[in-house]
This record gives sequence, structure tokens and C-alpha cells, in this order.
Amino acid sequence: MAEVRAGPAPYIYVCTRMRVRKAKLLPREEYVRMLNMGLSEITRSIEETQYKKEIDELAPSFHGIDLIELALSWNLAKEYQSIQKITPGSLKDLTRAYLRKWDIQNVLTILRGKLHGEKPGKIREVLIPAGELDKQILDKLIEEQTPERIIEGLKGKGVYPLLSRSFEAGVKEDFLPRVENALYKQFYADLISMAQSGIKGGRQFMDYITLDIDITNIRNMFRFRADPSAGEMSDAVVPGGTISPQLIQRIMAIKDRNEFIDALIPSVKVRDLRELLETLREEKSVREIEIDLIKVQLSEMESMSKMNPFSIHPILAYLEMKKYEIFNLRALARGKESNLPPERIRGYLVM
Amino acid sequence: MADAATAVAATEMTVEMVKASQLGMKALGAGIAVGLTGIGTGLAEMAIGSAAVGATAENKDVFGLVLLLTVIPETIVIFGLVVGLLLLF
Repeated sequence: MAEVRAGPAPYIYVCTRMRVRKAKLLPREEYVRMLNMGLSEITRSIEETQYKKEIDELAPSFHGIDLIELALSWNLAKEYQSIQKITPGSLKDLTRAYLRKWDIQNVLTILRGKLHGEKPGKIREVLIPAGELDKQILDKLIEEQTPERIIEGLKGKGVYPLLSRSFEAGVKEDFLPRVENALYKQFYADLISMAQSGIKGGRQFMDYITLDIDITNIRNMFRFRADPSAGEMSDAVVPGGTISPQLIQRIMAIKDRNEFIDALIPSVKVRDLRELLETLREEKSVREIEIDLIKVQLSEMESMSKMNPFSIHPILAYLEMKKYEIFNLRALARGKESNLPPERIRGYLVM
Repeated sequence: MADAATAVAATEMTVEMVKASQLGMKALGAGIAVGLTGIGTGLAEMAIGSAAVGATAENKDVFGLVLLLTVIPETIVIFGLVVGLLLLF
């Protein structure tokens, strides 16, 4: 059958839907209000927003933090699945490729949970079936008893070859961090090769990948500087960004913070990121730096989506913002559950 | 000589012929005015309509507003129609 060419209309349709959804995300004032609420009040408050269906569905079987955690995960997965259904043509392929990041996260969560003897129900609460691995596959993996069986269950999936190779080398102390780094490197390499394969919208997708890799590398650099015992930075460096792996290796050897930032700034192309790095000359905790980097990434994605209004950018910007809304609500709920003071919880929120 | 005179008479236009030709040109002009503005309206409404349907799919309350926005480019084709009618009558 001949392909129906609809021109830019499907792109405009999807990007407008993403914009409307983005406008419906919780505003900063709502988080500030929730900081002074209890767990049950937060549940009631989010029930009045787009989480109503999930909360109503799960309320008879769960309560408290479990209810919120599960409702948030279900909502995020549902949102991601629905976006994959409505995106047209090459945008669908690019969105799917981006969402494979969740496969890595889900598999690592299951492996980590199993190695630490967590119950299947607890692991299920934090999984987001948004990528290639759907709910049924993940449920099957959770029920498996050993890491060998979990990896066997992934046969034929994108993450299988690397996992099985790493696993054959033996389950050691550092098995998971090593495999995590390798999986993310492969994920970004796959994204880059897809963006450069001549696919429609590949150039805009490449802009996003470059930004994401830069943010990841900068975050890792600050993490490793704060805790040199965390492992080798060379294992965690993701190639493909504007900051070359060789430069990262070279500047990681610089002990003085000011000199380190001076060496880093010239290779950073994003103005907001350069400005942020200037502010990091003062001592800040790794968590604060991470939150600041996320804020810069989100604002940069927002401006990219304005420059290319009918491309992959508005979709990716919404997906990322939705992800951080879920993270914020989770942090709020967990903080309240642990009776943390509002000021402390505020430090974990991206707003 | 007689053949040349016949040829000149054949190329000379009568008043009826000129009037018919003018009417034809007016009709052509009217057709172009309506046709091109119609294409312009279609292109404009394609983008606005897609965005309108997208916005309505997410929030049904905006239907009335986006319907109004979608028909705004109709003015272009109405201008074309007016020009066409002025040409013809």
C-alpha cells in the first residue's frame, strides 16, 4: 500500500498535545504547598490531579507510601505508553529509542533487588514499564529467583548481549556498577548511531543526546571528585558529548576546584551550563550540584523545544519534565514518610 | 494581392471579439484569485487545525476557542472571493 503523506500535520498535532500536557504538570507553588502537608493530604491532593485514576484503582489494595509509589509508577508508565502510540513516523522510533533507558533502569533495579533479597512486591513498586520490556516481561523477571534466570529471561532483548557477557565474567562486588556503566555507554552509542543514520529529525535528536551526555559526564565528574573511592571515572565516561573523554581524563587529575572549572568551561557549549559551572566554584554538596544540573538540562530542553517546535524536542522535554514530577512527588512522599523536615525535603526537589 | 488583403482582415479583431476576450480574462483573474487564496487558506488551516485537534484531545474545554482560531484563515479565501466577484460584476 502506498504510504500516506500527511505533511507536517501529525508533527504539529503531537507536539501541541505534548505542550498541553506540559502545561498540566504540577507548578512550583503546588510542591511548596505539599511540603507542609502530611502523607494522606498529599495523596488526596494528587488524587485531584491527573493521578486520580491510578489512586482510585489502587486505593482498595494499598495505602500510605505504597499507594503513592505504585500510583506514580503506573501513571508514568501509562503516560509513556500513550505517547509512543500517538507519535508519528520517525518521531515514534526516536521516542522508543530514548525510552529504552528505562529498560536498563528496570533490569538493574530487578537485579539489585534480587541480590539484596528484596520482596517481588517491593521491586515492582519502583519499576516503570516504559521501554521495550513491558509489564508482563518485567513481572516474569521479578518472579525469577536467581540473576542467571533473570538474564536468561531477557534473551532476544536489546540489553541481553551485554548483560550475559558481563555476567559470564562472574558476579562480583562490582558486577552491577560495571554492567550499569557498560549498558549506558551502549545505550548512548545506539542513540548516536540512530541519530546519524539519516533518520528524519536525527539532527535535533543528536542535539538532545549531546546535551544529555554532557550533563551525565559533568555530574559524574563532580560525583567522583567528591568521592574518589566510588571507582574509576574512565569507566563512567560516556563518549559522544562536546567534552571529549580525553579531556575529562586530563581535567579529572586537577585537584584545585577553580582550576578544574577553568579547564572545563571552554569545552562546554551551552551558555546556562557555563554560568552554572561558574557558580560551582563555591563548595556545594553533590546532591545540590545534581539538582542544579537537572534544572539547567530542563531549561535548555525547553528552549530547544521552542526553537524546533515541531520536532522531537517538545516530546523529549515533556517526557523529562514528567519524569522529574514523579521524582519530586516520590521524594515528597518518602520524605514525609521518614518525618524529614520540609527544608530538607525541599533540597531533593527539582522545581 | 487579394490573398494579402484577406489575411489582414482575418487578423483584425472585431469589437465583439475584444469584449469576449476581456470577459475571458476577467473570469481567469477571478478563478486565480479564488483558487490561490483557497490554497493559502488550506495551508494555514492545516497547521492550525492539527494543533486545534491536538489541544482539544487533551482539553475538551478549548474546543470553542480553537474552532474560532481554525476558521480565521477563512478570511483569506473570502478576500479572494470578493475580488473575484468584483472582477466579474
